[in-house]
Amino acid sequence: MYPRAFHYHRAGSLQEAVTMLSQLGDDAKLLAGGQSLIPLMKLRFANPAHLVDLNFVSGTSYIKEENGSLLFGPLTRHAEIENSALAAKIPILHDCAAGIADVQVRNRGTIGGSLAEADPSGDWAVVLMTLSTDVRCLGRNGQRTVALNSFIKDAYTTELAHDELVSEVTVKMPPKGSGGAYLAFKRAAPVYPTASAAVQLTMEGDTCKDAAIALGCVGLTAIKATDAEAALRGKAVTEKSVAAAVEAARTVADPQPDMRGSADYKRTLVGALVKRAIAAAVRRARGEQVEVNHLYA
Amino acid sequence: MNQPADEKNWVGKALPRKEENRLLRGRGRFSDDVKLRDMLYLRFVRSPYAHARIVSVDISAAEALPGVVCALTGAEVVAQTQPFIEIGPDPFAKIKDYPLAVSKVRYQGEPVAAVVAQSAALADDAAELVQIEYDALDPVIDAEDALLNKSVLHDEAGTNQVWNGVFEYGEVEKAFKEAAHIVSIDRMHFHRFSSTPLENNVVIGCWDPKDERIYYECNNSFPSFAIQFLAAHLQVHIDRIRVETSDIGGSFGIKITSYPQMAICALASKKAGGRPVKWVETRSEHITSSAHGNERTFRDTRIALDKNGVITAITSRHIDDCGAYPRYEPLGCVIWSQVFAGVYRFKNARIDFSQAVTNKCPVGPNRGYSRMQHLWFLERVVDICAHELGIPPDEMRLRNYIRPEEFPYTTPNGCVYDSGNYPKMLQLAKQRIGWDEWKKKQAAARKEGRLVGIGIGTTLDSGTNNFGQSQIVNPGLPYSGNSQGANCKLDIYGEVVVAVGSCPQGQGHETTAAQVVADVLNIHPDLVTVRTGFDTERNVHTGFSGTYASQFAVSGLSAVHGAAQKLKAEMKRLGAFVLQTKENDIEFGTGAQGPELRAKSTSKSINYWGLANLVNANSAALPEELYEVTLNCRYIWRAPFKVPDKQRKYGNLTLTYASQLHIAVVEVERDTFIPRILDYVAVDDCGTVINPPIVEGQVYGATAHGIGAALMENCVYDAVGNMLTSTFSDYTPITAMNMPKVKYDHIETPSPHSYSGAKGMGEGGAAPVHTISAALQDALFAEGVFIDDSFNNADSLFRALVAKEISQVGKLVKVEKR
Ligand SMILES: Cc1cc2nc3c(=O)[nH]c(=O)nc-3n(C[C@H](O)[C@H](O)[C@H](O)COP(=O)(O)OP(=O)(O)OC[C@H]3O[C@@H](n4cnc5c(N)ncnc54)[C@H](O)[C@@H]3O)c2cc1C
Repeated sequence: MYPRAFHYHRAGSLQEAVTMLSQLGDDAKLLAGGQSLIPLMKLRFANPAHLVDLNFVSGTSYIKEENGSLLFGPLTRHAEIENSALAAKIPILHDCAAGIADVQVRNRGTIGGSLAEADPSGDWAVVLMTLSTDVRCLGRNGQRTVALNSFIKDAYTTELAHDELVSEVTVKMPPKGSGGAYLAFKRAAPVYPTASAAVQLTMEGDTCKDAAIALGCVGLTAIKATDAEAALRGKAVTEKSVAAAVEAARTVADPQPDMRGSADYKRTLVGALVKRAIAAAVRRARGEQVEVNHLYA
Repeated sequence: MNQPADEKNWVGKALPRKEENRLLRGRGRFSDDVKLRDMLYLRFVRSPYAHARIVSVDISAAEALPGVVCALTGAEVVAQTQPFIEIGPDPFAKIKDYPLAVSKVRYQGEPVAAVVAQSAALADDAAELVQIEYDALDPVIDAEDALLNKSVLHDEAGTNQVWNGVFEYGEVEKAFKEAAHIVSIDRMHFHRFSSTPLENNVVIGCWDPKDERIYYECNNSFPSFAIQFLAAHLQVHIDRIRVETSDIGGSFGIKITSYPQMAICALASKKAGGRPVKWVETRSEHITSSAHGNERTFRDTRIALDKNGVITAITSRHIDDCGAYPRYEPLGCVIWSQVFAGVYRFKNARIDFSQAVTNKCPVGPNRGYSRMQHLWFLERVVDICAHELGIPPDEMRLRNYIRPEEFPYTTPNGCVYDSGNYPKMLQLAKQRIGWDEWKKKQAAARKEGRLVGIGIGTTLDSGTNNFGQSQIVNPGLPYSGNSQGANCKLDIYGEVVVAVGSCPQGQGHETTAAQVVADVLNIHPDLVTVRTGFDTERNVHTGFSGTYASQFAVSGLSAVHGAAQKLKAEMKRLGAFVLQTKENDIEFGTGAQGPELRAKSTSKSINYWGLANLVNANSAALPEELYEVTLNCRYIWRAPFKVPDKQRKYGNLTLTYASQLHIAVVEVERDTFIPRILDYVAVDDCGTVINPPIVEGQVYGATAHGIGAALMENCVYDAVGNMLTSTFSDYTPITAMNMPKVKYDHIETPSPHSYSGAKGMGEGGAAPVHTISAALQDALFAEGVFIDDSFNNADSLFRALVAKEISQVGKLVKVEKR
């Protein structure tokens, strides 16, 4: 399987990449980790005439803490985030990074590419949606900041203009007493999840002060389960409130049947994942060390 | 190299594999590593339809692309070749199977044209330019539907039924009349999957116009079968076809049926003026169009039991689905009967067996070939009867197992099980898994509403086929028995060199063959060079040579042993002459100057170089009566088989019967429906073990394949024949992430039928498929679920347990208690 012939351009800076995109036009695509783009090109589902390679732009792969936020360079690899002590300050980020595909994919794939691809089954958008996340976009007219919720518009569709790129991802540190967990069911390691659930809870004693819940692989984009959040927010986390949150999550899920499972099954599964993720999030909010691993077949 | 002399009995030792040095350091040589001068690259253009008439094929645009050397269509193939040999009888013998589709396509992914270019990327470009017009036909996806012949795949046959035969033994009606209980099962289904070798198919073909020779470098795993098909198809003398294989990254039988692609590479090379043509299969091509394992449906099963739950008779109707072309089939219509009775004692049975073509990928002899489907069927029967009659599954098995004292045991259809001890394996497996503890834990878990099951799977891995069974499917076939060739020589400088007609794919043949020769000559295995990998020009193959069907330990090593003994006899004769002593006084060992022969109780010796030199380079010193000594000894081993009785379908079909007893503890999670393996034990018996780690490795590998098949791997087609699992994202082969910790143990019941007591092994009988089905059955019987399919995943368990759409005991199983 070989891609169709294409021209290869190596960008020296992000700004140069933007210029290249605008000059080369619609037939040009950025190359980050290549873990979405290259398989598509090999299958000849994507046939760009020009590739603009970002991999040689220095200073694009980093994790920093600034003003109460974590900052991620666009080419920060999943593996770097998985292995970063700084990123582990927000445990749900580690759950996500460590559970993407397999080692090879994590070593190449990037957080910027992942958000730009907006795959309905991608993990990052689900998790980052439960945190306060901004996407910095660089275009011909400079930088702009877009909240993640408005950045992803539809399946494989983002707010980015053709000649615009993701230049940074910033995630606000959750407040004290906040804990989160991300859990997916995967049939095999190098496969997108069947369904996934991200839960970030801010607790005060037994009461949930704030809740953010997002569902993955059960809609065209990650779904923010606002009714499920409301079922917990301001309430004690009890069997009853959790059951209400689970039910609300199941209701908002809109899964399609495919080789990963029937729609009914996915709906049931996502409910179970929300329930388990809430339990882990509560414990983490209390400061407990909880290891969260995806479920595999 | 200078190991202590006279070390005895290398067979049985945990000798590290000789091939590890090469393979683990990335120094293996695989077919795709081979690059020949002026080599071209081939890409197939494949059908998007499952069943369609081909209206037109236009290769002109592809051929016009710069860098493209030629393209090939079905019509051109027809003009130059004969259709492939059909193994089955009429009317299917009449079908025309060509390596490119001619007037019709019969499965999605079937090759319709081939393009040949200077690079693989250009070949991909050219493939996009081939214009093919199709006229869609009604697809036939289910084998039972196929038998209704509403849409017929092969007009020449006029039917979709490839084969039908009734296997009946004993007094079936009487047994049912006298039965205390009769259990009936409406339908069960064994799913399609493949064993997914790491390396896909690769062929380099070169048809040299100068001397009309065809050269192949490829990873076909049964080359002597392939050349028989190719010679007849390409109309060349078989001696004109040279096949070489290198290291092979797994086959599991799937690479046996790559001869159509081999044919195309030769024809393409011929059209390209004799330049070598390489085809490297992509993963999606491999999944959609290399070969799948046989799918089988079991209908109208009835089981007669006595009051103690001892099975006295079984009747059933089995329908095998071989995909679009029979190819290696209908051999599978008889191969299963090697294990007709499984590990059980019942004497009366009638199985009505048919096979149908469908618009799906052709099947190939996938690991556990044709027997695993039947063994799964028997294990389901035993289990559901046990549950229905309230007999614990372990007790049920003990009541029905063939007893240790009954070996060698003749089955109702005349197969002779060489040795075995199933109760002992069960006892060992129970002990290793902690059966009593798990029973307690299971009871406690059930109280909490958890769905925990413990399942037993008992399996046979029959090895070293009697090819005479092919005459049961087609009395006109000229095949019977089994054989393998080997050559053992002292080379000019006295090196011991062995060549075998096998093409290993990780089975460690270099190591085990060296162990056998080392024992015969009383030298260290490091001093034995083993040439594996097939090469027709080594002249050590017979019509059955290759690596398949669990037999190397028997057929391959018996051939090696025979050749080594022949060499030893010649060395003795020569040694007696040189050392002026009696042959019986010659001793074999290793001295200061390497391996040598000594005259007993003297200081006289001659090393291997001396012996070899005398024959090869100093022959004037050789007396005439020793001229027949060549130190280059070819030996053909033959299995002691007779042609089976074709009418009665009776006779010994296999030489050795290795067995596996696995126990799994499985929990189906109440909230996610994910089946989790909580504990797993695999107990193996392959007779005398030649190299323990190699055997253990095969057991782990086969166990992984079986677990993958049971829970993860399924070839799914939609109603119009689109294959929905054409990438690893959808066909999810098992990886280390999905493997439970497997406890391994073994017993040894030496085979009386092989010189070393070893039995063939390696297929593992798909033991985990039966075992996991049994554990799921145990977990879910109380919920009214009948495990009627060999494939179960979270989604299907959800549909059985919650939606209650499938697998309901009440609908599928009836019990008549008299
Ligand atoms: C076998 C396999 C399994 C996988 N499983 C998972 C999984 O379970 N979960 C998961 O989340 N992901 C999974 N992935 C995808 C992986 O995470 C990818 O790395 C990710 O989706 C894309 O990131 P990338 O850096 O590889 O982007 P690329 O493939 O290089 O690019 C993807 C797209 O984004 C564009 N792009 C890249 N960078 C930028 C940027 N900075 N600004 C604007 N546009 C940009 C590209 O032009 C392209 O269109 C899997 C991939 C593989 C191969």
